[in-house]
Amino acid sequence: MAGRIERAAAVRSTRPAADGSAAARRADEGVLARYALALFAGAVVLFLCLPIAVVVPMSFSSASSLEFPPPGFSLRWYQSFFGDPRWLRAAGNSALIAFASSASSLALGSIAAYGLVRGTFRGRAILEGNFVAPLILPPVITAVALYIFFARIGLLGTLPGLIVAHTVLTVPYVVLLMSVAIRSFDVRIEQVAYSLGASWLRMFRSVLLPNLWPSVLAAWIFAFIISFDEVIVTLFLAGAYDTIPKRMFNELILQVNPTITAIATLLIALSVITIGLVAWLMQRAGVLGRTLG
Amino acid sequence: MAAATLAGRRLLPAGAAYALPLVAFMLLAFNLPIVLMLGWSIGAPPDVLAHYGQILERAVYLKVLGNTFRIAAIATLVCVLLGYPLAYWMRSLSPGRQLLAVALVVLPFWVSILVRTYAWIVILGNDGLVNRSLQGLGLSGAPVSFLYNQFGVVLGTANVLLPFLVLPLFAAMLKLDDRLLQAAASLGASRRTIFWRVFFPLTLPSLAAGAILVFILTLGFFITPAILGGGRVPMIANMLDLLINRLPRWELAAAISTVLLVLTLACYAAYRWVGTRSQP
Repeated sequence: MAGRIERAAAVRSTRPAADGSAAARRADEGVLARYALALFAGAVVLFLCLPIAVVVPMSFSSASSLEFPPPGFSLRWYQSFFGDPRWLRAAGNSALIAFASSASSLALGSIAAYGLVRGTFRGRAILEGNFVAPLILPPVITAVALYIFFARIGLLGTLPGLIVAHTVLTVPYVVLLMSVAIRSFDVRIEQVAYSLGASWLRMFRSVLLPNLWPSVLAAWIFAFIISFDEVIVTLFLAGAYDTIPKRMFNELILQVNPTITAIATLLIALSVITIGLVAWLMQRAGVLGRTLG
Repeated sequence: MAAATLAGRRLLPAGAAYALPLVAFMLLAFNLPIVLMLGWSIGAPPDVLAHYGQILERAVYLKVLGNTFRIAAIATLVCVLLGYPLAYWMRSLSPGRQLLAVALVVLPFWVSILVRTYAWIVILGNDGLVNRSLQGLGLSGAPVSFLYNQFGVVLGTANVLLPFLVLPLFAAMLKLDDRLLQAAASLGASRRTIFWRVFFPLTLPSLAAGAILVFILTLGFFITPAILGGGRVPMIANMLDLLINRLPRWELAAAISTVLLVLTLACYAAYRWVGTRSQP
């Protein structure tokens, strides 16, 4: 991939060397078009990042309205978050649900991914499709289906119900990420372990896990964040339980509360830290290039 | 040696056993609920399609369906118009800058959709940055309503979904063989001709796949229309929220979910079909 980019750069730099005034005029137009394109693309990147660029400084504002630039620096919105037991309880629930559901989807999903990649049985594509389905279906369909199901079996508005629902939603990510990781690990190394008399469990502990742990950790973090940010299914199923996104959503529907900017900034910080961690782990595992193709 | 391998294989036939726990879990916690929902959508025997009939009879439901499709189409168009030039520009950057550009496109991807949606209230709300500036500069007396209408919903949706279009499109553009462009140039084609006759047709399948993906995702959008539409731009998902959580009409909610399910699967089939064509 890198080679091709360098080749492309080399070609581009030789292209304007064509002679003749018509060619020169065309090159001028080309430069103009390239500037216009760069300007437009820059504006689109700004459009993408503007929400983040605005929310972070607002969270440190001393004003209780949405004044920008903020008239002064203060931590009052962080105080109002950390001083409110309802927000803290919501944060606790979010963390608990995210931890439990990401751990269970990691366990179920990684082992299933191993079966999908290494197995030779029929219907693997169908199984994988089924595991990934919650990612493709609009979450609101999963929410309606689980609502009706949970209402019938008494799991509506319970913690176990929420954990099960979030496990369903995070399984696709674990299966996809771990499939890539296992596929990129040389199967002959596993076979060597077997040929030396290792059981599957022994091979898993001594060969697979030491080699794949960065991917395992990355998949876990990914699943954790997906669960922590989940809004729609939680809104339908949570009943009296509050999570951070559910509380944020309900507050946003009613009014504009600057405390949200503080929580948003904390969430952005969490995302940036974890994306950095995941990128680092994936690079270690050498998976990043393969995932992007 | 071979015996040990064979024993290992015989214990766990063809690897299917590894998938079993997840299969059991998904059957119980995902497939069964979906099937139950399909069951709820079916009426009592004489009039099996009664609930689907209601969707067609009541103008409200048809209006919301139409609304959803219109917003999905507009948001998809906006994403295509903004995303293609961005991906094309990213392709022309040096590898280091490409990485930075990808990071900037991915970053919002990782930030909670609630946060990104909320930010637009801060920026474009009646009391937001733009309206304050406009009034401060004396350009407008009353606040301009950017939000709580279709414009707000499309803007928020496009902002959230743009990375879904840009990233695969950019990856496809990188994979494109430069020798094809060089061949066209060596045959005397102008830059514009090369773009429209060679580059664009070759990246069109990826663009179409990305557009269908954005369309699918918009069909199920809930948060953005709820917050930036202010209840005035209801989409399918918001109606489902109403039918389940406010006025319990489970049968109708199940029927509408089924319609959405079928539409999504149809779009997804189109996505897969286009996707197989985009492979070089």
